Amino acid sequence: MKIVIADGNHEADYIISLFNTKINDLVVINEDPDVCHYLSLMNDVPVMRGRCTRENELRMAGAENCDLFIALSEDDYKNYVACRTAKQLLGAKRCIATVINPKNVKLFKKLGIDMVVCSTYLLGEQIRNLTSIENMVNSLSIEDEQIFIAEIKISEDLKVRGMSLKDINISDMGSVSSITRGNKTIIPNGNTIIETDDKVLIVTTEENKNEIIKIFQRKR
Amino acid sequence: MRSNNTIIIGAGRLGGTIARSLNDRSNVVIIDKNKDKISKLQDYSGFVEVGDATDIQLLEKNGIKEADRFIAVTDDDNINIFLADLCVNVYDVPEVFIKLKDSRKRKLVDSRVNCICPFDLSLDYFENESGNEVNV
Repeated sequence: MKIVIADGNHEADYIISLFNTKINDLVVINEDPDVCHYLSLMNDVPVMRGRCTRENELRMAGAENCDLFIALSEDDYKNYVACRTAKQLLGAKRCIATVINPKNVKLFKKLGIDMVVCSTYLLGEQIRNLTSIENMVNSLSIEDEQIFIAEIKISEDLKVRGMSLKDINISDMGSVSSITRGNKTIIPNGNTIIETDDKVLIVTTEENKNEIIKIFQRKR
Repeated sequence: MRSNNTIIIGAGRLGGTIARSLNDRSNVVIIDKNKDKISKLQDYSGFVEVGDATDIQLLEKNGIKEADRFIAVTDDDNINIFLADLCVNVYDVPEVFIKLKDSRKRKLVDSRVNCICPFDLSLDYFENESGNEVNV
């Protein structure tokens, strides 16, 4: 996979270290000469000094037709234009922009950036999910928040405890894709009975999320 | 409803001069995050706003939904391009002008956006006045 990593300092270092394997072709471009030196020293990869919003400089770095373009600068709008350049002029298949301002997450996506990552936005989403559901262990929103995955721990006092999935009947809203019981992982069917201390992994859509969670939170 | 409203982003010399000249023909608001630039606007009696023009709530408060004309002349090409995309793709503003220091970035901008490129204008002027063609 050809991956272009544009700008960023420690973030770039971390991403390079994750993907610097034989199966990936990494192109690293950075505007700051000191950071270029640091990145190449730490990771043993060639780093091109250049501006990631300039088409010709990206071409010189060899950034054409990449599978993934990641813009990591501290300037949201530089990342936006870098991604637009990569996608529109250099044939990048997929682009990721990091942003500081959480308000830019939805906006940049609306304007055509494939994926927008903001640590404050993710933190907010995690806190919102955690505080709204008391027995939720973990949750994740994917595909532009169209798919919602939640892990719910089954306590003694819940109505679903002792019921089979067939009887709980959530099939038109989502599904229970796995159950963790002690050290075992169970792929359930309709006859599987929910037991105390099970961790139930639910996959649903954003619109059915609240309804399905309500069912799994009903007390006896 | 649109009724001859103009939003100008960037209160430098260019933004300020455009604001002044349009003010008697249009309802103008000029936005800049730099308070000093706003306070130095001369002979301009229209609306002003100190704030970050990339904040859509601020733009909506200043009437981007009803704007007939949007002019982004900040010193940052990337912000001007982002604002142009926002005007064309989200708010459907009929007339959009942006300044681009790097005219090569024009390729990224929608054809409905008018780009003001000082570099190209200077070259054109030189070519016309000197009769010499310049290869870029």
